[in-house]
Amino acid sequence: MMDAALVESIIRILFAGVIITAAYIISTRNLLSLVSVYALQSATLVGIALCLYTIEGAVVLLGIALVTFASKVLIIPYFIATIQERIRIKRDIEFHYLNPTTSLFLSMALMLVIYMALSSIMPNVSGKPTLFFFGAVVGLSLVLMGMMVTFSRKRAITKVLGYLTMENGVLLFGMFVTELPFIIEFLIVIDLIILVILTAILTVGIDSTLEEYHNRLHRFYLWEGTEDVP
Amino acid sequence: MNGEFVAYCVINALAVLAIAPLYMSLIKKVKAWTQGRQGPSPFQTYANLAKLFRKEVIYSPNSSRVTRVAPSITLAAILVAALFVPLAYVPAPVGGIGNIILFLYLFALARFFMALTGLDAGSPFGGMGSSREMSLAAVIEPVTIIVFAALAFVFASLNIFDMFVISAASAFPVTPTLILLAISLFIILIVETARIPIDNPETHLELTMIHEGMILELSGKNLALMELAAAVKFTVLSALLINLVLPFGLVTTFSVAGVLAALLLFLIKGAVLSGIVGIFESSMAKMRFFRLPSLFVMAFFFSTLTIIIEVFA
Repeated sequence: MMDAALVESIIRILFAGVIITAAYIISTRNLLSLVSVYALQSATLVGIALCLYTIEGAVVLLGIALVTFASKVLIIPYFIATIQERIRIKRDIEFHYLNPTTSLFLSMALMLVIYMALSSIMPNVSGKPTLFFFGAVVGLSLVLMGMMVTFSRKRAITKVLGYLTMENGVLLFGMFVTELPFIIEFLIVIDLIILVILTAILTVGIDSTLEEYHNRLHRFYLWEGTEDVP
Repeated sequence: MNGEFVAYCVINALAVLAIAPLYMSLIKKVKAWTQGRQGPSPFQTYANLAKLFRKEVIYSPNSSRVTRVAPSITLAAILVAALFVPLAYVPAPVGGIGNIILFLYLFALARFFMALTGLDAGSPFGGMGSSREMSLAAVIEPVTIIVFAALAFVFASLNIFDMFVISAASAFPVTPTLILLAISLFIILIVETARIPIDNPETHLELTMIHEGMILELSGKNLALMELAAAVKFTVLSALLINLVLPFGLVTTFSVAGVLAALLLFLIKGAVLSGIVGIFESSMAKMRFFRLPSLFVMAFFFSTLTIIIEVFA
């Protein structure tokens, strides 16, 4: 077992990392880096789960780390990167209602509200209160920040990334406040993967009729392999 | 004021003046490497400054006394600000030295005189540079104040010397929120020294220049003083960032060997930071002027977050 105080400070540093990646996801206009930052955020969550395991020793945390690593660091970013390669959209510069600057301001306000709300709901449990409280706040904020990405971006692919960020927030909240049963976490991950695969199809044609959709699949080289992509 | 503090002032000022041009050339070198060029020698900036100091000074017929005194005032203000940020050895603070509010005002003073220089010669480029610099200053200064307020919250002190002593005493960063603040400080470093997403220090293209626009009419030793002031500003701000986040090696008791070792260590850390700045600049294009506030908001976001965490947690 490692020194608990050291592990705790590592976890806090990882929290800072999660916040930084979330701010980046909210404000960037570059789609390619968006996916890698999402992968980085998930990797940070894996790190947090592993650190938490050295403190608590619950095997569930190891399982969560493993599933998260396999799905959110490897599979999902790979799928999304593949989609992006095919539809050849490199930037997302269209925003509904909120531009990135306003979103950052809003998320600041959100964190403040969550801080106040949680501090009145969650009494300081004995043991290691501040770390767990902080984890809950970061987790919930991540959920709301992801939600903001989902409704402020116009492109479907960024909306999906916002949704994935929300799920990361749920995972973080679950790790620190409630013990989610492992099976639920596993099912969520499967849902996410299906969602991302569906997105691969829907990103190119959610607003078209079926006939047109067929043509689009051809146009985006999703139907007949990728041989003739230059 | 005791002898030790006087010694600190002399050593710190000389060290800053000696190191600052080196970092400027290091950034250029790293940028050249990323572009596949050989780049200038690490000591090129010293040679440039020496050349400029020997050259004749030419004033525009429209310029007033301001152009004659502003370069000295700018460098003086920045050198006084440099006393506030110990590079290697932290003595006990004396008087108001080390106060972060005074520190910010000294930078503002330097900025003000630089903008006056731009306006003074009556050239349209200088005026444009000054106007841009002041518009940016109006946006970045609230952010800078919030960042320093967050620092004051984290260290529970308004004095940079106290902050350095606290951070030197702990091996890890004092709190994880310091990592968030480090990003804010990095953005401020980039903005204050007019590096790439804000301004390109290597071109004299009238559409984009800010810093270069203001010093366009200067020549000879006046130009050298302004260039040196910019270099010293970079060193001071990077010293602030380095000694707060990675303070190892910082000494708080005076001994010749200890201070020399700490200075050497700082030289290396600063060189690494210059390399990071060089890589950062190479990986980015200059931002559109009206897009810049989104960069500042990033700094604002992280520092406000730090304050929230420090106040409520």
